[in-house]
Amino acid sequence: MNGDLLVTHQLCKRFGEIQALSDVNISFKKGEVVGLVGGNGAGKTTLLRLLSGLYSPTSGRVELFLDDGTTAPVENIRQKLGVVPESTGLYHRFSAWENIRYHSRLHGIDDGRAWIRTERFAKALDFKSNLHRPTRGFSKGMRQKTAIIRALVHGPEVLLLDEPTAGLDVTSARMVRSLVRQLGDEAGTVIYSTHHLAEAERVCDRIVIIHNGTLRASGSPQELMSDTTTDSLEDAYVALTFDVARTDPPPDDRGIISRWWSNVFTGNSRLKQPSIKSAKDSDLNKDDSTLKVESGRLYSNIHSQNSKNIQSTTPPSLQNTPSIGGEEE
Amino acid sequence: MKGGGKKIWFHSTRFSIISTIASKELIDFVRDWRTLLAVILVPLLLFPLIFIALPLFLQGEADELQQAELTVQIQTQNGQQPPEALLNEITDSDMSFVIINLEIPDAVNLSTPSAATDNLRDAAESGEYHCILRLRETNSNASESWDYAIISDSTQELSKEAKQRTLHAVLAWEQIVINNTLEESNLTRQEALDPIHWDGDQTISDIASAGERAAFGFSMIVPLVVALWTATSAIQPSIDMTAGERERGTLEALLTTPVLRVDLLFGKWMAVAIIAMISVLLQITGLLLAIEFLASGFLTMPEVSIVGWLLFIASVLLFAIFTVAIELAVAIRAKSVKEAGSTLAPMILLFLGPTLFSQFVNLEGIELWWFIMPIFNVCLGMREALIGVHDPVHIAAWALSSLLYALAAVIWASRQFNREDLVESIS
Repeated sequence: MNGDLLVTHQLCKRFGEIQALSDVNISFKKGEVVGLVGGNGAGKTTLLRLLSGLYSPTSGRVELFLDDGTTAPVENIRQKLGVVPESTGLYHRFSAWENIRYHSRLHGIDDGRAWIRTERFAKALDFKSNLHRPTRGFSKGMRQKTAIIRALVHGPEVLLLDEPTAGLDVTSARMVRSLVRQLGDEAGTVIYSTHHLAEAERVCDRIVIIHNGTLRASGSPQELMSDTTTDSLEDAYVALTFDVARTDPPPDDRGIISRWWSNVFTGNSRLKQPSIKSAKDSDLNKDDSTLKVESGRLYSNIHSQNSKNIQSTTPPSLQNTPSIGGEEE
Repeated sequence: MKGGGKKIWFHSTRFSIISTIASKELIDFVRDWRTLLAVILVPLLLFPLIFIALPLFLQGEADELQQAELTVQIQTQNGQQPPEALLNEITDSDMSFVIINLEIPDAVNLSTPSAATDNLRDAAESGEYHCILRLRETNSNASESWDYAIISDSTQELSKEAKQRTLHAVLAWEQIVINNTLEESNLTRQEALDPIHWDGDQTISDIASAGERAAFGFSMIVPLVVALWTATSAIQPSIDMTAGERERGTLEALLTTPVLRVDLLFGKWMAVAIIAMISVLLQITGLLLAIEFLASGFLTMPEVSIVGWLLFIASVLLFAIFTVAIELAVAIRAKSVKEAGSTLAPMILLFLGPTLFSQFVNLEGIELWWFIMPIFNVCLGMREALIGVHDPVHIAAWALSSLLYALAAVIWASRQFNREDLVESIS
């Protein structure tokens, strides 16, 4: 057991043709703050959803260690988890407190106890004055704070956060990081995904790097740098994610008629990859300061005299660079 | 004993969770005044509007037409003059007339428009005249005999009204001619035209009471409206509580709680079913209030027994269970409100067909299998309940088959709620 709280064994997840995660073996210890770091489509959200029991693994399993030393599948003991999804998921006709109370009732917590805990977390997040305001019109930061309190109010053993600071202003992001660190210091286990290496370095005890659905490394920032003989965490990350990020399209779960109808208008199959080579040479050469649209596709403008060598015009160092701080997954 | 206690606790907790979900959904629903208006106020006002506003509006339109000053152009041939009796009747019908004489060959049918009628549309628009009455005297043994035709434009309200008034005048004139002919033959009108006649008041010869007759009429329209309204009123809340939650991203957060997905379905189902039932009951209340207080002059309150009402409500309830489960299952498959709406709206046609056809099914000597067919069974059950036919075999057939369909719909819906892609949304 070795203080492990949450463990995955040979965890795999496949969506149709897409292998989202392959053979992930990882354990999370009690009181640990772990950052899941990876680029777009790396598999962070899929892993979080598997850890929270929202997805069933294609193979492998996720287990939570109970107080008596036995283990249980995570989907059977959601009571011990607190989850903040990327979308926060608040009911806009309800106040922040009503949103929190609804979830706490579903966790079997009585309203009095839920209110005491809510007040405590709201104070830590400087959010107390907003608890009775309707969430319609809340800023991203206010929504995120509400969702975090909602996830904590039933007293979970593990808190799972999906991009908790994405879209937050500096002050709100700092407040969230501070709360996460505080929870870690109070022996809570926090697992959270982020694009931001610097943030993970500051907040987390351990960083788990995921790339193309595989676990590349796990350790403290110092361990990662030492293992890759690099001077910075960013260089360590680049060294560990040397292969080009996959560009698999999301699985097409539309029906046959929907796909056919879509193809009638777009003139191509969704499974067919948009190819930069299908742009006319003349279009690529003509103008180098605008975006071009042809046959329904948008081509970014690239300095090139010869579109056949378009891949080689991109600096090699950038080809492997992960999208840190880029778009959300 | 201990195990039994634990089981009861587990069931009460599950029921408490289902109630929590249903309450939240109902509060969320009530807080949106637009949906509240659509599902609560509209059904309450629908029948009063149909019984009061519509007749008032139609009466107003008819009165307006009645006030219009209309002119008929009377076309005669070969210097013939229209009969005085006809002109008097036209004047009595609040119309003026102009007479013109034309040469129309005998072989030509009077109804056939000709050059002489070509400018009717312009004349009607300018108010010169609004229809044309063509007359041609013929030979017969009657006191007098005429062929006639009225040329009018059915796309113009004034021309249509002028035709009606002219026709009324012509028919009144015809009665005068018939009376004159009978007098010449020394016959009374009753001897010639009504030798076999009903003795007494036809209305009192019906052994059905006015209330029973009203209930029969009620049974022809109410099941149709109730079944359709149950289906349509459940669409909006079903979409909002499923595809709407997916689109807004609230479903993912909800699924991370320890709530069983089947309990989530039951909670949402309970909320939608309550909304649909309230909506339907308000609609029936509105209908009864309209009959009692607004249309008491021309409609009678239907006589339906307590058992009839209970069976009626039971059939609506079973139909709501079935419909709501199907609509929730279809809506939860959609990733967006738009997608769910475009799937569920055409589905109403599936309900419309059977509900409409079941109104024309003859209930006397009806085969049992009608009471087993989905949707038909409930509509026919409602009809029998309202007209006071309480056949135990029929009741058992529609109740059991409805329960079976409802159960199948709930199982299918619970399978949809267990789909893994529920956490994904277009946002």
